[in-house]
Amino acid sequence: MTTETLLDVKALSVSFAMPRKSLFGQRPILHAVRDVSFSLRSGQTLGLVGESGSGKTTTAMAAIRLAAAHAGSVLFDGVDLLKLDAEAMRQHRRHLQVIFQDPYSSLNPRKRVGAIVREPLDLMMPNISKSDREARVRELFGLVGLRPDQMVLFPHQFSGGQRQRVSIARALATTPRLIVCDEPVSALDVAIQAQILNLLRRLQNDYGLSYLFISHDLGVVQFICDDIAVMYLGQIVEFADRPSLFSRPRHPYTATLLSAAPSLARRKSAGYVRKGAVKDDPPSPLNIPVGCAFASRCPQAQPKCREEQPVLRGNADGFVACHYPLT
Amino acid sequence: MAEPLLLIRNLTVEFSTRRGRVTALNGIDLDLLPGETLGIVGESGCGKSITALAMMGLIPDPPGRIAGGSILFDGEDITRADVRRLRSLRGADISMIFQEPMTSLNPVFTAGDQIAEAIMLHQSANQAEADRMAIELLRTVGIPEPERRAQSYPHQLSGGMRQRVMIAIAISCRPRILIADEPTTALDVTVQAQIFDLMRNIQQQFGVAIMLITHDMGAIAEMADRVAVMYAGRVVEKGSADAILDNPLHPYTRGLIGCIPVLGREAGREERMPPLAEIPGIVPPLHLLGQGCAFADRCPLAFDRCRIESPMLRGNSHEVACFAAEMEAA
Repeated sequence: MTTETLLDVKALSVSFAMPRKSLFGQRPILHAVRDVSFSLRSGQTLGLVGESGSGKTTTAMAAIRLAAAHAGSVLFDGVDLLKLDAEAMRQHRRHLQVIFQDPYSSLNPRKRVGAIVREPLDLMMPNISKSDREARVRELFGLVGLRPDQMVLFPHQFSGGQRQRVSIARALATTPRLIVCDEPVSALDVAIQAQILNLLRRLQNDYGLSYLFISHDLGVVQFICDDIAVMYLGQIVEFADRPSLFSRPRHPYTATLLSAAPSLARRKSAGYVRKGAVKDDPPSPLNIPVGCAFASRCPQAQPKCREEQPVLRGNADGFVACHYPLT
Repeated sequence: MAEPLLLIRNLTVEFSTRRGRVTALNGIDLDLLPGETLGIVGESGCGKSITALAMMGLIPDPPGRIAGGSILFDGEDITRADVRRLRSLRGADISMIFQEPMTSLNPVFTAGDQIAEAIMLHQSANQAEADRMAIELLRTVGIPEPERRAQSYPHQLSGGMRQRVMIAIAISCRPRILIADEPTTALDVTVQAQIFDLMRNIQQQFGVAIMLITHDMGAIAEMADRVAVMYAGRVVEKGSADAILDNPLHPYTRGLIGCIPVLGREAGREERMPPLAEIPGIVPPLHLLGQGCAFADRCPLAFDRCRIESPMLRGNSHEVACFAAEMEAA
């Protein structure tokens, strides 16, 4: 399937200067995202996967300019978002929306949910009459499975799943083309997760939405994503379409994540013990190792891996950054 | 079958709220055998954590109270134990680890201090001995450079290491029961695998019985010998992990298993995965529980009787509380 590219991220880098350790010391630099490139096709879902601290959220936020990138370009429909002035960027925001992980802290507790969903319309489409905006909010409530009479309630009167529906309605208000979903279901109960995932899928089909979907849950990613970028310590280590990635992971880190993911088939009664689980924690992004960042935890690491940094190279299924990819 | 270490019989816990008295646990029966892992599954608000708190004698009273039933540990009823007895039980015989290791550790004491504190409370050890034992425990739970890490404060440790410190505190007095309340929910999958590994090793080494509270069926498959599924303060299904996962009888259990996007076989190129099974609606608030089965409103199999009468757990080794399942079996 070839569709037009909606988002084309090239060589994106984000770093943060940390506080000085001593009065005259240098400010240490934390390299959160290092030279990341990917593209997202219109109407598709790209998954960003990795452990906490791998830079997946920062990558997505930098791509929609909610975090400042220090290098790279982000072409959205051919326009480089990173070069736009403030007002032009503000105008572009109607096409770019976000759904956050925590449905409790992402809704203003002092506003009625109807007003929360209407706010993007008030800001981006003030030329539409107020009654039309109200009508649109009503319509949005229906789309996400809430009742219009709930518009006058406050966020605390809703359950976590319902609040996430409010977040989704708010994200849809300006008919965006791209929605960044930052772990949208990981704070929800399993039964509610399924409801929200099915809703996101249905909305995508109906409105041709594109999702940049951040998750650490590979089961969720396999359900909703078309392409997947696996991140480790601020870099993409593997990029492939869903069938390839899940049936033939090339990077040892991807293989590790897959083998560590929960599955109903792995039974204690059958003597199952997770194998190949990586040891320890990832290295600190303040002190990135020479060579491959995963080498310290990699079961297949060779001397070369500790000396030379592998680059992302294309293969039959996608791209992998590993000197000794799995076959 | 071995003699159960812990017997919960007809345990009922009530809370008084602004909306009147609600029943958080409604006559539950559970057994925990020595050295086994019992999984407790259900959505938030089903009573999983209240069960754990009751076992530790930690139900806040008021507003909560144990309205009936018993928790027999080694023949002794914990629900009738006084404060002094409870204090010596907690930590020494029954200990607990929680979901968020950051909020359960004290931020102003080092990891070593917090382990030593637990040791000195329950064992006749002086500070120096307790410090030495704390370092040994950190080694047992797989923390590299334990001498140095004992001096670290919680914020200097990663999430996985904090959970290891929690486990070190929990096992410091060789308890016979370890309650793990969502121990890996806040952790990455790779770290989750490490923590489960550690829990398994500790179980083999010390023969501790584990009660694993989780909403993750994958964790159940990997860790549990037996499973109890809870819904709205009741146990609705109970059996071996294999029986529950392969042959779930209660529609709620079926829903829970069906709605998880577990890693499956790839359907094929370009083809998308089929929609997930959904359990419609949400867990009803406790004050709105009427007569009849609490799951009836969300149940695809509910019929008239389900709304009038509350089903009891029935069966031998695989028990279920559901009228539809009873008819299916008949």
